[in-house]
Amino acid sequence: MIWHIFKKDWKLLWTFVLAVASLHWIAAFILFKLGLFGENATLGMLSQAVPILAFFSSMFLIAAIVHVEAIPGVRQDWLTRPIRRSDLLLEKFLFVIVMVEGPIFAANLFQGLASGFSLRSTFLSAASYVIFLLFFMILPLFAFASVTRNMTEAFIFGCGCAFVIGMFLTVTEYVNFSANGTLVTVTHSGIGWIGEAFRFALVATAAGIILILQYFRRKTATARALVIAFGLLILTSQFLPWRPAFAIEQRLSPKPAAGASAMMTFEPARGRLRSPSGLLASATKVQRGRADENTEVFLPLQVAGIRNDVVLLTDRVEVHVTGQNGEMVYHGNGEGLEIAREGPNPVKAPVYQEIEIPIRAYHRARDQAVQIRLDYSLTLFGLSKSYAMPALDGDERMPEWGWCQTKMNEAGSAVELHCVKPGKGPGCGTAFLENASTGGRNPARSNCQSDYSPYGSRPLPDSFARFGTNLLFRDPSGLAKFPVDGPQLPVSHVVIRVYEPEDHFTRSLVIPQIKLSDWEAQ
Amino acid sequence: MIHVENLWKKFGRFDALRGLSFDVPEGSAFALIGANGAGKTTTIKVLMNIIEPTRGSATLLGVDSRKISPRQLAQVGYVSENQDMPSRLTVEEYVAYLRPFYPTWDRDLEASIARQLRLPLERKIGDLSHGMRMKMALMCALPYRPKLLILDEPFSGLDPLVRDEFMEGLLEQAGEMTILLSSHELGEIDGVATHVAFLDEGKLLFQESMNELTGRFREVRVTLEIEAARPAQVPNEWMHMRTIGNVLTFVDTRFDENELNERIRSRIEGVRGVEAQPMALRSIFTTLARAARDRAA
Repeated sequence: MIWHIFKKDWKLLWTFVLAVASLHWIAAFILFKLGLFGENATLGMLSQAVPILAFFSSMFLIAAIVHVEAIPGVRQDWLTRPIRRSDLLLEKFLFVIVMVEGPIFAANLFQGLASGFSLRSTFLSAASYVIFLLFFMILPLFAFASVTRNMTEAFIFGCGCAFVIGMFLTVTEYVNFSANGTLVTVTHSGIGWIGEAFRFALVATAAGIILILQYFRRKTATARALVIAFGLLILTSQFLPWRPAFAIEQRLSPKPAAGASAMMTFEPARGRLRSPSGLLASATKVQRGRADENTEVFLPLQVAGIRNDVVLLTDRVEVHVTGQNGEMVYHGNGEGLEIAREGPNPVKAPVYQEIEIPIRAYHRARDQAVQIRLDYSLTLFGLSKSYAMPALDGDERMPEWGWCQTKMNEAGSAVELHCVKPGKGPGCGTAFLENASTGGRNPARSNCQSDYSPYGSRPLPDSFARFGTNLLFRDPSGLAKFPVDGPQLPVSHVVIRVYEPEDHFTRSLVIPQIKLSDWEAQ
Repeated sequence: MIHVENLWKKFGRFDALRGLSFDVPEGSAFALIGANGAGKTTTIKVLMNIIEPTRGSATLLGVDSRKISPRQLAQVGYVSENQDMPSRLTVEEYVAYLRPFYPTWDRDLEASIARQLRLPLERKIGDLSHGMRMKMALMCALPYRPKLLILDEPFSGLDPLVRDEFMEGLLEQAGEMTILLSSHELGEIDGVATHVAFLDEGKLLFQESMNELTGRFREVRVTLEIEAARPAQVPNEWMHMRTIGNVLTFVDTRFDENELNERIRSRIEGVRGVEAQPMALRSIFTTLARAARDRAA
């Protein structure tokens, strides 16, 4: 009877389904027409609004599909009919997949094929995207709609939930800020996907329990309590501790020994950081959203044991500053580092670990001997591929980097490199301008994101990653001179170097006795 | 066919059903009567497993209502005054949707009921009037010849013409079917119901066959030689006693033609004459409702 019920739902909802599907298709068409540089302002604006509209209308469509045979309530005719609940549940699930996810899948497939990507890569990215949406949107909303009797109730209940979530996140942000960012560590990091996968597992479990409870037992009060309980559990999952999550990521390292020889040591001989502008000297910052001020110290480090053509990225630096009597002066996160060793003779720029310490704590301990422990969680990226494309009006398709185009910016000071790739974007890459005949090259612009998610994890706007950078060749102020400048552009290339994560590992560095005041910037 | 035992249903602190017990014999037309809020609809919704009882049990077709499956539902017809049906489907589309769920669905019977009830098959359910919707609900409940037909306040809000059409449609197809009918419109169950149960505030006041009920209720008029006064000792079965001049009237709820005169004369002096009139079901219901209200007060 699944197909029979399916046909009835189609009769009831086909206009709504087509309207929502049209929105997704229009959004895909707009994004396709917008191209890589997004020069059309109207299309640019629509490309922001229409996908959001389509996304929200899909949410309403899911609720409408479920509400055709609402579970709560005592007036529904279907309750008195010999309809097997398992058939109804499967039909609803199937209808949601086909009528909500189907058009999204089709829109992404169209966009990928129209943009010239292969059927395989487009299909895989679109499939990955709809699977992501299944956990991100479909299952939670399906379960949520099953505990409400109509759209009005769903909307009101949904607004209530949004308010609670907003409040929870605001309070969490405040508490996390007060704890120097040590409470919520995983969520916005490269291993955030582990927390997200954990949440998705919770969503699937919760949806399964709630849907079975509703469709087979009609226990709406219990199911609503479960929605709230699981909702809170999902919210609290952002407190997932760092160490076990990073340990999972370490186990997933593609080349587990690649970073074995990497070493980090304190290098006091390098002296204080000399800020060229002097702006960093004795810097105090007013923190966003709080009256507290921070003082920065910069600890010189020596990074050794890493080969050429790698990028070493810190995923998290946990800082413990301990006073003479063993009391904790400061516990928080240090600034992230990105250490690139590009080419056969890489420039080994000095590395300074920046630590922002609240000014009260700093003044208490600035002239005392303190111990600093830095716990690094690191990822080593190795060079995977290198591509070159014309610096001006280039148009290249690169398997690991996607489809890119280049053009000069309106100010005539930089080459714009814009790219699109089906699925998840590249994790790490650098790009620079190189004159092929003279061998001159400009400083590389790095685009390394600490994101090790095995899937694309953005719900909007679609299954494609769009990224880019501006490669400067002229300083409008005239202060800097670039090896590859404007006149050389016609014979120059944009070189793109793609790096892939090889190893995730940890290092601890203990600096036994230093004075914080010795390491302010000069 | 239906067996209800010590059924309780609480909504928060409110007891909608308070230890209700009754039986619906097979082949009967059983009327569940009571004022609004007496618990008729709640009882039916428990029977249909739309709501769960707090305590007690209800079985229909030999199955606990909480375990009622599609197999049993395929043998039960249900018509309610407030039944939500898909308003954007036409009558024809909805009937076509329902057909495959019932193995015993008879398309000829469906066509004949549709003709008899004069239903506009091409019209959307949402565009139907209340009366049309009730007739449609009946049409969706009869073509599979259910063993049990449950009608929850089916006449509520129907004009007389539609009510007659509805009744004709129902009675014509009733056959061997057992009918459970809830109503506060007593005039409508007169001539239809073979059994009756009276609910008041979630409790069953009585349950008996129509014949017995109408047989034991009489409006008694006693003419006295002198000005009538309420007797000192009034048996419980004499209800709603009134005096006007030398006439005393009351409702005898245990009427026995052979004993009436003797029972009256043993309690009242100076009796000139006794008349006992059969009562309409409405009057019986009103008498019982008043008595229940008085007891509660």
